[in-house]
Amino acid sequence: MFPPWLAGGLVYASALSLTAGGITLLYITTRTFNFAHAGMATFGFYITYIFYSFRGGNLYQYFPLSFLFGSLLGIICYIGLNKPLLRRQASTITLMMSTLGYDLILLSIIQMLCDYLSYTFKLYPRRVTMSAYDFEMFRTSAASIISPIIAITILTLLHLFLTRTKFGTSMRATIENPILASASGINSDKVYLMSWVIGGGMAALGGAVMSLTMTGTPVMGMTLIAQMFAGAILGGLESIYGGILGGFIVGLAEYVGIYYLAVMVGPWILGYRMALPLLIMAITLLLFPRGLAGIQWSYLMESIKRARKGVKS
Amino acid sequence: MLNIKNLYSGYIKLKILFDINLEVPTTEITVVVGPNGAGKTTLLNSIMGIATVFAGEIILDGIRLKNAPPYKVAQLGISYVPQMGNVFADLTLRENLMMAGYMLSKEELKNKTDQVLDMFPVLKGFIQRKAGTLSGGERRMLAIAMGLMRKPKVMLLDELSTDLAPLITKRVMESIARLRDELGITILLVEQMAKRALEIGDKAYLLVSGEIKYSGKASDLLHHPELSKLYLGIKEAE
Repeated sequence: MFPPWLAGGLVYASALSLTAGGITLLYITTRTFNFAHAGMATFGFYITYIFYSFRGGNLYQYFPLSFLFGSLLGIICYIGLNKPLLRRQASTITLMMSTLGYDLILLSIIQMLCDYLSYTFKLYPRRVTMSAYDFEMFRTSAASIISPIIAITILTLLHLFLTRTKFGTSMRATIENPILASASGINSDKVYLMSWVIGGGMAALGGAVMSLTMTGTPVMGMTLIAQMFAGAILGGLESIYGGILGGFIVGLAEYVGIYYLAVMVGPWILGYRMALPLLIMAITLLLFPRGLAGIQWSYLMESIKRARKGVKS
Repeated sequence: MLNIKNLYSGYIKLKILFDINLEVPTTEITVVVGPNGAGKTTLLNSIMGIATVFAGEIILDGIRLKNAPPYKVAQLGISYVPQMGNVFADLTLRENLMMAGYMLSKEELKNKTDQVLDMFPVLKGFIQRKAGTLSGGERRMLAIAMGLMRKPKVMLLDELSTDLAPLITKRVMESIARLRDELGITILLVEQMAKRALEIGDKAYLLVSGEIKYSGKASDLLHHPELSKLYLGIKEAE
């Protein structure tokens, strides 16, 4: 159904949208640029890999477990690091560096886990091609259909949670005005904890999805952290929806863009793949400094309509 | 009654208030006036647990509040209406009221919303609109309505008249007086528009550079020949 470059692009973009959405959520609630997203995403992949290796079946059934484990990592990060630092009114840099430290701990645990799996169970966890265990749907890889569905489902559930539930509304209130929210009786600790539950879960789910389009390694998350942040920054770091959209655009543009560039100028360009999302981010921010969230879409659409009418007349 | 004893407070390491002693009697309006930068907002932030209390006591009906987190202070019955950012601009009016009544049960929330909207009928027409689209006066009304949603024992009102036209300020002050007269709510009102505030107040404190310079009846401060002229910009003491 999809050509291979588009199928892979959809999986990659969906995974980046989940991770970028999580990064944005954590930033707007706790002012924390979460570098541990790398480790959380890698753990998400390994949870699916481990359960699939031992229990078999359909690998997608283990995605919820990846999400839950990511949430657990998020809870540990919040309670152990983020909450005490927020209480001490730590700067954004301190908050960010603390997550970098947490990420290094996660990376070490992942390395130990890989060693354990290799020596005890004779598995090969350091280079895993999860796409080999995927199946076909409508004459294309199931991942290219299921991954966007997962991203859209998470986006829809998140939207319903934030707009239709009392706790979700309290999250929006805390994001907008934490002091007034707290003075209204809303416990901001609970809101921040929930952000880490959702953010960590999205990171791990994104990692599990990501492993279907690239080789799963212990440093998979680290190699992708720049792209995750590029997506979040492109989204404007103001809205979760912007982050999810930014991640999707960056992911799709990188995957599809590098394919076309390789066809046009030769395969040597593949080595510069990582530069593409950063270039897209830089150009977008030059045109729209507040990212996608800062664009006044209704005004933009109105201007386009007016320009079109002008051309016709 | 809200009681403040020998309070020293500020932000992180910066001390702003020095040895504040203040009493807010039940069902009265206590007004704190003073020039810009006197520490009026810091006083309210100290009560709410937003600013840091270095020394002293804040006691509400026998319960010590010192450095309790804001949501716990709110749960004890103190309702804060800040000067800036006193509504959630991105939320609808209904959502704003829902957040203000966060601690209420579903049934209580519905009843309280109806009751508050009856008190401020002007808000009824905008209930599904985002608060950010309201005018300055309407926003202040919503902010007070939100303060009432919390079924407060004490309301802390911070400079509600800022940037409002004189006629609107008068209406806002009348609403505050009604809260005391009709609902029996205890109010601590911080104001720069001293004359209007002192007119409706029972008790008054003059705060200058983080220290209390006067305490007594609001009407006495309003007519004080020197203080009213020197610190409050009231040209002729009436």
